[in-house]
Amino acid sequence: MEQSSTSALLQGTVLDLASDVVSALRSGDHVRAGSTLTGGGAGEGVARAAVRVLGADALLPSVLLRVPPDPGQLAVFKDAVAAHPPRDDAAPAVVWSHWAMARTLRRVEHPLTGPDAAEPAAEPGAAWLDEAGWQTLTHQLAVLAPLALPGEECAVTRAARRRPVDVARGFVRAVRRRDWQQAAGAGRWLTLLDGVPDTLGLAAGLDFVRLMGGSDPRVALQLEAARLMPAAVLL
Amino acid sequence: MPSKDKVLEEVIHTENIDIDAVLDPAEPDGVFRDSRECAALALQAGGTQLLLSPPTPRPKKG
Repeated sequence: MEQSSTSALLQGTVLDLASDVVSALRSGDHVRAGSTLTGGGAGEGVARAAVRVLGADALLPSVLLRVPPDPGQLAVFKDAVAAHPPRDDAAPAVVWSHWAMARTLRRVEHPLTGPDAAEPAAEPGAAWLDEAGWQTLTHQLAVLAPLALPGEECAVTRAARRRPVDVARGFVRAVRRRDWQQAAGAGRWLTLLDGVPDTLGLAAGLDFVRLMGGSDPRVALQLEAARLMPAAVLL
Repeated sequence: MPSKDKVLEEVIHTENIDIDAVLDPAEPDGVFRDSRECAALALQAGGTQLLLSPPTPRPKKG
């Protein structure tokens, strides 16, 4: 019972945080992106866990819109990276989401030199994606949607670039399954990939996902990222 | 509840959360709208052949 009430609290905080990020992406206001974290709405531990769950996208407005993050928000982000490292036996998606957060942190803290100038963490492997069927590939890429950024160069983005048709098939499958979160995440990846079939109708598909699932802030976040992606240049 | 107790309770609760499970969620069951899928499910359920039958032919008017 305690576990479920805590999970509900965490889930609610993740949704609030995602709403903040969506507002910031739409308005360019970085302060809004951190209002859940700095406004005292959630407890410190829950806020930190929520940032870890939302992952690198918690700082997406800073990365895509090139606005400096709120200091309080940045402090919680740092705490989340430090407090929730992946376990030794963690699944690849967990390891990669942590790696993405650490990379984003370096990117935001060293905007002039770029993340490669201070790259302490070795890049995890992505062989599991190459071996995955198109359904699993799309599911995992949607989970790792925070890595879908213009100009991002890592093993996951390279794996996605090798299989645009598979991701397109996964997008259609996700829409048919009414899994709007997966569809939005896959759609975000597809805006970055070359070789996506024109017959997919990605723009119309993303409009449909927005219409059907856009009320979920996590879906809206991916759709906003997809909207900004073509014009964005990585920090 | 005193605020210190509340903070302590929150810390305990947060440590109980399995973050990894949230970070690597299993794919949720989809809600398909594919007639072939529906047909397969109906066959598995049994006794629903009537639903899978084509519509009863109606006499043409005129």
